[in-house]
Amino acid sequence: MTQTRFSSRSLARRPTRRALLWCLLGFCTLGGQSARAESTPEFRLLIHPENPATSLSKEFVTDAFLKRVTRWQDGETVHPVDQRADTGARRVFSESVLRRSVAAVKRYWQQRIFSGRDLPPPELESDDAVVGYVLKHRGAIGYVSASAKLGRTRAVSVH
Amino acid sequence: MVVLPAVAWADEASSPLPIEIHAFVSQGFIKSTGNNYLAEDSTKGSFEFTEVGINFSKQLTDRMRAGMQLFTHDLGPLGNYRTRFDWFYLDYRFWDWLGVRAGRTKVPFGLYNESSDIDAARVPVLLPQSLYPVSFRDFLLAQTGGEVYGIVPMGAAGSLEYRLYGGTVFYDTADVSSTLSNVRVPYIFGARLMWQAPIEGLQLGASAQKLRIDADASIPATEIAKLQMAGELPAGFTNPFKLQVPALLAVASIEYSAHDLLLASEYSRWRVSLESPVALYAVPETTSERFYLMAAYHVTPWFTPGVYYSVLFPNVDDRQGRNLPLASTPDAAPIGRGAYQHDLALTVRYDLNAYWLLKLESHYMHGTAGLSPELNGNRPLSTLVEDWGVFLVKTTAYF
Repeated sequence: MTQTRFSSRSLARRPTRRALLWCLLGFCTLGGQSARAESTPEFRLLIHPENPATSLSKEFVTDAFLKRVTRWQDGETVHPVDQRADTGARRVFSESVLRRSVAAVKRYWQQRIFSGRDLPPPELESDDAVVGYVLKHRGAIGYVSASAKLGRTRAVSVH
Repeated sequence: MVVLPAVAWADEASSPLPIEIHAFVSQGFIKSTGNNYLAEDSTKGSFEFTEVGINFSKQLTDRMRAGMQLFTHDLGPLGNYRTRFDWFYLDYRFWDWLGVRAGRTKVPFGLYNESSDIDAARVPVLLPQSLYPVSFRDFLLAQTGGEVYGIVPMGAAGSLEYRLYGGTVFYDTADVSSTLSNVRVPYIFGARLMWQAPIEGLQLGASAQKLRIDADASIPATEIAKLQMAGELPAGFTNPFKLQVPALLAVASIEYSAHDLLLASEYSRWRVSLESPVALYAVPETTSERFYLMAAYHVTPWFTPGVYYSVLFPNVDDRQGRNLPLASTPDAAPIGRGAYQHDLALTVRYDLNAYWLLKLESHYMHGTAGLSPELNGNRPLSTLVEDWGVFLVKTTAYF
């Protein structure tokens, strides 16, 4: 089993830059920003145990979560599942894999939803809920925080 | 302001394929200086800037989906709270590279035409009006017919998304002036290609659309005799007479959206003519030029400033307005400032929470092209104020 933990080095640098911008805007909250920098969140990418994939490209994962790709190589329907927008795992996953801020991804989905193009992946409340969803759908792909119990799901690497 | 409950997904365990419900409610305020813009009396400030929409979508099977959206709005003389189906569709996706849709679907023209009603999906209050004029919404936003679409992977070269569509537009004549009736669009068809480049966040595209608008026009009885005496109408003229407006629209698009930064630019030309058996009302083919540059940056998850510069030339062969207006009377003045509109817009967007946002926006405008004479006392564009401004506030709740 391949298990890879992901973190974003660019995110670790960001709080300083943001703190400066906040101060410039009169919203100086250095304390909170520094605290966030000390605990850079990580996540793991999960798939169903019967899914034969061993590693996934960033492009595939991005296309799967933006629903540009809807099938695995074996023809199974892809079922991406997100976490709530305010979770650390969602933030790091979005920045390091989708290469977009959570807000940008939300805007992408607002465009799709209200123009009738597509529906976003479900947003689940917790790591446990994501694990449960992945176990229930053979084509599921989700992510959880690094400390989450994975159950029978399988963690895969991204290249 | 009605803040609607955030209900989207039914209980996953009991129904894996629930109906999703999403909605938005927007209220805006518009204040302009110099000229009325979008709303009557906007120079005094106007709250006639409301949008409400609710949609229902269901994934029927892995490959098939259906949905519909009800929409009502009020923007100056447009909308007036008439509720209509904004879109409805049945979508079947055979493979990622081939899907079909039938129904009333949003028209994929440029980067943002499909989402031009969706305040939450963008930073500016008003999209660049050179390319996405709100007054053209009913003709450009959606068509009733069919669509073929798909995404073709190209390996290291990225991927190509295509959209082909054709049908008609059912137009609500309530927004048309009393001199026009039976407005219809016998056909509209077009295509959009978007290349997702291998550089992260970069996409380039091209769109083209062809349509024709037909209408029956009437000349007020008091004018007929005068025009006949002047030799501009035949002696046996009777109302109504036919008008046809064939149009060909094209746009090239580029967008870079990665991490917290959005950069976008589009260049467009629209070729339009007005054909009529009454020579007085016929206008030869004219090509307009439209383009903009836009940038936005997420400083924090709740604060996003944006800026754009948008330009409209209604006649690309007369960008300075030096020539006489087409079909003008002999003593008509040159178009002058009515031949261009330069629009510099600054926006700040505050996401107050996950379901509620507030935007403030100001525009510096140079030129009067695109303004409505009807909103400005029927004065010619050349006589309106050349340098003017617009200030907008808009708040939207959505889920």
